[in-house]
Amino acid sequence: MKKNILNYLIAFFIIISLNFFVPRLMPGGPIEAIYGSEVLLNISPETKEAIISSFGLDKPLFGQYFQYLVSILKGDFGYSFYQNSPVLKVILNHLPWTLGLMGSALFFSTSFGILLGMESGWKRGSKIDKFLLNFMIFSASFPSFFIAILFLILFGIILGLLPIQGARSIYSNLGGMGSIVDIIKHALLPMASLIFVFTPSTYIITRNSMISNLAEPYILLAKAKGLKETKIKYYHAGKNSIIPVMTQTGIRFATRLITGALFIEIVFSYPGMGSLIYNSIQLRDYPVLQGSLLVITILVLVVNIILDFFYKKVDPRINYAY
Amino acid sequence: MLKVENLVTRYGEKRILNKMSFKLDKGETISVIGESGTGKSTLGFAVLGMIGEVSENSKVEGKIEIDGFDINKLDKEDLRKLRWKKVSIVMQNIDDALNPTITVYKQIEEVLDKQENRNKKIIDILKKIDFPLNRKDAYPHQLSMGERQKILIAMAFISNPEVVVLDEPTSSLDTETKNKIIAIIKKLSENKAVILLTHDISMAKKLSNRTLVLYGGTTVEYAETKKLFKNPRHPYSRGLIRSYPDSSRTKDLQGIRGRAEFVKTGCPFYKRCTQAIDICSIKKPKLLKRNGSFIACHRGGIIPLIKMEKISKNFGKLQILNSINLTLFEGETVTILGKSGAGKTTLAKILMGLVEKDSGNIYLENKEVKRFDAEYYKKVQMVFQDTRSSLSHRMKILDIVMEPLVVQDIGTRQQRTGKAKKVLSEVQLPSSRSFLNEYPHHLSGGEIQRIVIARALMLEPKLLIADEPTSALDASVQAKILKLLNNIQENRGLAILFITHDLDLAKKVSDRIVKLENGIIS
Repeated sequence: MKKNILNYLIAFFIIISLNFFVPRLMPGGPIEAIYGSEVLLNISPETKEAIISSFGLDKPLFGQYFQYLVSILKGDFGYSFYQNSPVLKVILNHLPWTLGLMGSALFFSTSFGILLGMESGWKRGSKIDKFLLNFMIFSASFPSFFIAILFLILFGIILGLLPIQGARSIYSNLGGMGSIVDIIKHALLPMASLIFVFTPSTYIITRNSMISNLAEPYILLAKAKGLKETKIKYYHAGKNSIIPVMTQTGIRFATRLITGALFIEIVFSYPGMGSLIYNSIQLRDYPVLQGSLLVITILVLVVNIILDFFYKKVDPRINYAY
Repeated sequence: MLKVENLVTRYGEKRILNKMSFKLDKGETISVIGESGTGKSTLGFAVLGMIGEVSENSKVEGKIEIDGFDINKLDKEDLRKLRWKKVSIVMQNIDDALNPTITVYKQIEEVLDKQENRNKKIIDILKKIDFPLNRKDAYPHQLSMGERQKILIAMAFISNPEVVVLDEPTSSLDTETKNKIIAIIKKLSENKAVILLTHDISMAKKLSNRTLVLYGGTTVEYAETKKLFKNPRHPYSRGLIRSYPDSSRTKDLQGIRGRAEFVKTGCPFYKRCTQAIDICSIKKPKLLKRNGSFIACHRGGIIPLIKMEKISKNFGKLQILNSINLTLFEGETVTILGKSGAGKTTLAKILMGLVEKDSGNIYLENKEVKRFDAEYYKKVQMVFQDTRSSLSHRMKILDIVMEPLVVQDIGTRQQRTGKAKKVLSEVQLPSSRSFLNEYPHHLSGGEIQRIVIARALMLEPKLLIADEPTSALDASVQAKILKLLNNIQENRGLAILFITHDLDLAKKVSDRIVKLENGIIS
């Protein structure tokens, strides 16, 4: 475990270093990188000098790098001039929405995928299995934004059941329970789209893994032992079938965060990290972009650490892999 | 306690077990032996009512009764409740039989349901099998093969079932661990009915009272274990025992000719059997009781090829042979060991009809031999002690080898030549034109020996009398000739009466050794 954490620390260090150096490799000077190319037309050389020295950009590269590391550790991610607010504060305004949306979507899609996958694998070749398998392959072949738009039109506009944009009703003075219900109502459609898109891969992996586990001699022995069907299904075969799901979730978390957050949030104008990144790209708000990427990377690392921990709980053999 | 009657199992079209029947009482162990793929594991699964779990389009007919319950008639739920309470199994595959992500303790515990004293029970049995208690919470991959096997055995016995199936319980273990496991099984299986499925003959010997030999899903022999291993009656049982290394046997290993094939009609073994006759390929032999054991063979088991009864011979006043009794079975090598002048060669010559006996009878395939005619020599041939002088130096190799066919007036010259070439290649000699036209004095001692053996084999005899066949050869050539004889025996079921004064040699080549001394056999 210690070795593991060290590995993650090294990964983290490499990432923040890249985050520092990559922008400096971009064409144009740091001022353009920070404020956009238009800025050069509007400032005098003196102002430019002043800005450069105020940011410490005239110091040697190593000194700047050290300075950067210290500020990151202090929680200083820079300042957004478009938003006129520290980057960290901007990010922290958007992050909870994404975390809530993504977290619940991931939770539900993984749960559904695992449960349905186990059921399907256990009854391989049955009508239920065939239906589920076809449905999952069907739904997996849609891009996430298409599903989102479809849901939005169907449930939001045609049926008018749910709000179609934002994370909560603006200008409403809902308090307590009312506001929670309101937030859930707003989250339902984006969440449903995410679940719809995420579930198939978990389902298919669980099903396949279940089928191959069911052919193992220990399942035959479990049956010979006269164990109850539920115990064989969930305890003996099921538990081992979620191992590949866990690995896969860790690996795909990053892509899911981006695709999920970016596309879905934009379609529903949901004020999460996706919308923030999208807007920042359009406005060329580089400090926010840089900060967001850093936060996402950290998130991915944290999720992987947590999964690693559970992975070892589920599969004791993994300790030997290091 | 366990009764299996006319058990038939099929996977799809293929019949795996064919009308198997046996009974097993408390405290008894039955070994079921046979090569891989013969249906041993299928029997194990059938006893647990699990044929359907192993393969979807499978069928079971017949009766398996455990403690009054007919396994094949119970519904799924009753069957589930019966499993492990009445009947348990140690499965073959130690590697994957334990769930990799559950501790072994929990895997044992789950068969005890929610019994109150289950912890004590588990600890007790782990102590009994000598399993280190501090390792009980280990995962399977952290244990050695032997330890995993112990866990599987503990699991099978802990619920105190009446019938336990052990499917190759030691197949992937080293000898030391294997012996420990055998001791453990012995200790635990008191008061149980145990079915031991194995190809390990030494284990079957140590653990079981009775042994059933399975070939192609059919019971070919069923007898008391001691009796069966000492004196196997079915050619397949003998082949199986011969091919299994055993430190108490000095003869070289022999296999069984051919390979296991699925046979639709007739005796499942007839293609590989060296004593098969016409009926064997047409009709399936029934399992019949003979001398206290059961055997399924049209010929009643391995046939006594030649039987000598009270053979006596005097040369003047000198008594050479005094009432000799000796029987040779099909496919076995018997050595007559004795000093020079003990009468070994005289006995051989009597068998060949070269010396007349004073009294006594000779039976060939259970028929008394009245005259030594051409028919007799088709079945009995000899390799003489002084090989070089047993070949005419004026005949070419081809003519020498062909001569028996000429004498018996069998075939055309072309056919005889063809046969000669085939037999020469069987004894690993060239069959080129130049070689066939050689004279014997051009050949080495080893080659001469092979020529003589080839000549003896031309008539496809059932008995070969070999009188000191290697005494003139150096050790390495001797080794080759003996291996050759061994292989010919494996392929043709040839019985060999081997005559020598060399005890070490006798041990190496023969199934049985008899001593000829003062005219008496012992």
